[in-house]
Amino acid sequence: MASFALSVNGKKVTVEAEPDMPLLWVLRDLIQLHGTKYGCGVGVCGACVVHLDDDPVRSCMVGVQAVGNRKITTIEGLSTDGSHPVQKAWIAENVPQCGYCQPGQIMEAAALLKKTPRPSRDEIREAMAEHYCRCGTYPRILKAIERAAGVKK
Amino acid sequence: MRNVPADTQSDRTSGRGEEVRLNEDGVVDWLDLQEEDFAFGAKGGATLSRRDVLRITALAGTGLVLGLCLPVRVHGENGLAWTAPFEPNAWVRVDPDNWVTITAGRPDMGQGVRTSLAMIVADELDADWSRVRIVQAPADMARFGNQGTGGSMSVRSSFGPLRRAGATARAMLVSAAASQWGVAPGSLRVERGVVYDDAGKRKATFGQLAVAASKVAVPEADAVPLKTPDRFTIIGKATPSVDLNAMVTGAAVFGADAAPKEARHAVLARPPKFRGSLKSFDDSAAKKVPGVRQVVASGNGVAVVADHTWAALAGRDALEIVWDDGPHANLNSEAISKQLRAAIPELPPVQAAKVVEAVYEVPYLAHATMEPMNCTVHVQGDRARVWVPTQNPGNVQNTVANVLGIPAANVEVNITLLGGGFGRRISADYAAEAARIAKDVEGPIQLQWSRDDDMRHDNFRPASIHVFRGGVDTSGKPIAWHQRFALASGRDQAMSERGPASQARNRYGIEGTTEAALVGLPIATGPWRSVNETQIVFANECFFDELCVAGGKDPVAMRLEMLGMDRLKAVVRLAAEKSGWGTPMKKGQGRGIACFAGYGSFIAQVCEVEVTDGEVKVLRVVAAIDCGLAINPLGVEQQVEGASIDGLSTALKAAITIENGQIRQTSFSDYGWFEMADTPVIEVHRIVGGEEPGGMGEVGFPAMSPAVANAIFAATGKRLRKLPIRRVPE
Repeated sequence: MASFALSVNGKKVTVEAEPDMPLLWVLRDLIQLHGTKYGCGVGVCGACVVHLDDDPVRSCMVGVQAVGNRKITTIEGLSTDGSHPVQKAWIAENVPQCGYCQPGQIMEAAALLKKTPRPSRDEIREAMAEHYCRCGTYPRILKAIERAAGVKK
Repeated sequence: MRNVPADTQSDRTSGRGEEVRLNEDGVVDWLDLQEEDFAFGAKGGATLSRRDVLRITALAGTGLVLGLCLPVRVHGENGLAWTAPFEPNAWVRVDPDNWVTITAGRPDMGQGVRTSLAMIVADELDADWSRVRIVQAPADMARFGNQGTGGSMSVRSSFGPLRRAGATARAMLVSAAASQWGVAPGSLRVERGVVYDDAGKRKATFGQLAVAASKVAVPEADAVPLKTPDRFTIIGKATPSVDLNAMVTGAAVFGADAAPKEARHAVLARPPKFRGSLKSFDDSAAKKVPGVRQVVASGNGVAVVADHTWAALAGRDALEIVWDDGPHANLNSEAISKQLRAAIPELPPVQAAKVVEAVYEVPYLAHATMEPMNCTVHVQGDRARVWVPTQNPGNVQNTVANVLGIPAANVEVNITLLGGGFGRRISADYAAEAARIAKDVEGPIQLQWSRDDDMRHDNFRPASIHVFRGGVDTSGKPIAWHQRFALASGRDQAMSERGPASQARNRYGIEGTTEAALVGLPIATGPWRSVNETQIVFANECFFDELCVAGGKDPVAMRLEMLGMDRLKAVVRLAAEKSGWGTPMKKGQGRGIACFAGYGSFIAQVCEVEVTDGEVKVLRVVAAIDCGLAINPLGVEQQVEGASIDGLSTALKAAITIENGQIRQTSFSDYGWFEMADTPVIEVHRIVGGEEPGGMGEVGFPAMSPAVANAIFAATGKRLRKLPIRRVPE
């Protein structure tokens, strides 16, 4: 066990954990931030994506020690009220069905648009690869990302 | 809202000759339910009589609360049937703070039922939609019946009673206003939660009238007319999900998020092979994993209980377990195919100008819900509390009670949002496991399935083989259709009692015979979105395409000529028209069609594909749907989009295979499912009209995969009869 000082959604949090404990479980089970979802545990489904600084990472694959002094942003920290442009676009396109994978999808999309404000469709598809949605909301996710990017349809 | 349903304390008879009960608040309830009132036929909820029963169930003076009885499924002599529960299982409440709250037990697994149920009440009530909320009712089998969701029945079964409840509450609010103002109720009008007296230039909000309305006698149903569909203001309008904001901010609470903070986290090691069992285990290394608190033999496995999920998982990895691999340790997919094929008898001979024979095969499928199975149980003496994402609350309650040996009434079941269902969460196997572990642990425990657990210990969509012999006459018209098919059968066939053979008869009136065999195998099976239609419609709609080709006929023209159902023909016509059926496509491209009627709805899907060097790319899906009265057209569109992507995924990618007595797949990557990059444009066209809603959860799935296979044939001339079609062979 070791002590890790983390910055989560702008707040300082100290956790006691094994160094290789995945950030996903630190967030969910140690500090009760449940917006980040467990889907596969092996980095293939995308449900657990959070930001380390501006980079989207699969938090099930990042040991807490590897976070270092990078700032962690989870879905709860993207905005306090759903007002981030990506969240607003998600609402406008009525994307979710069951909703479980959406925090990961939204975090990936938000990271993409921060780096590439006007992505092409291929860039969107590439960024959203290995982000499974069993309800099949992909057409609406695509529309929502283009809406958030201000791309004319 | 958990305090709203009141326990019945005593029975007596009222002067009205109806059974009357006093609840704990001293408010008179009456019950007058007859099973035939809940006969669901072609007319769905419309057959409900006025006796769908409304009563005031809250303390007078706190606002208006009407209890109503939504029909529930029960096991009877003839399998599952719909009947009335014994007590209200849903409530419409109007509070002085001007909120309308609807409490209902139908769980939401992404089908949007929370939104559509609320819309139905709000419309008849003429409520302000922005002041309407929906709350999940607790599960209580004995009192409310099983409030399960499945079979695309949530909206269909609730439509009549919810409308009646909304209209009745509205009448009581109007009556209260009329008394206050000394005018006739008929002179008042209601709009967006406000009662207006235009002549007297007065108005009052529902909130202002709620307390007075709660003192008004519940009117006879005959005195409360329902709206004609042209007067609907909310039903039929595209309405975003009530859970949208929570879902995009991470605030939505799924099963895995609902455990009390102090809960311990558990995972279970299960026998890896079918019907294997636990021989012995060494937990000394597991117990050294930091955070692991307890290791217990549990049922047929070993549970590791820890401070957090990661420790539980690491503890499980550190277990040394000796399994008895059981009698099926060498079972594989090839052997299962042979066994299914062997169960199919010789088909009758066919006299026809051209005889067509074909063998179709589909694999097992996992549900692979995004949220893996999980359940939290807290055993407290002879009582238990449960937090669970389930499609089947009553089943969870009974199952947990059985495992713990306590009365079902002592099990409190809290239903969360479901991270996908697709039929998987009808079974309560994961709740039984959680209860078994919780028995041996102090305090609440949350059992979490890993993705690997979820993929390998599912109740799978059965694999099947379908053999056809048919023929066309000299004019090219199909005249013979014999089919025999074999479905794998595991332990859970509750949903298939209707009998797969009757489902499989062709819809084209072609003479012939149909027989089905269920082949017992040690692999658990269960309902999967659209149940047996998933396999049957694939095979049947492809075989009809084969007959059309053999007779030199156009598949759309033949369907329009031979289909017996007008509404089905209409969607075939619409899908063909919107897709530009018959217009030329480039070399290597093709168009296929298939159709399906079921769950009270009708659909046709046209698929366009392009095949390049054996790679199949889906270019476009054009769907035409007739679901009767669409409560929420936006929800209808989403269900068709999602079910179409399911159909495409299972046509082209997904399969569960068996090797050495176990499931080979462990995650999405090796299971195979559509991603965004695979997904084509999906157009949804709807036939508007109808007075009764059809089911939407499942209807979009069955015709999709045959439309894909038919399109691949059109593009390449290759008839591929085994799913998934990952490549078109050269």
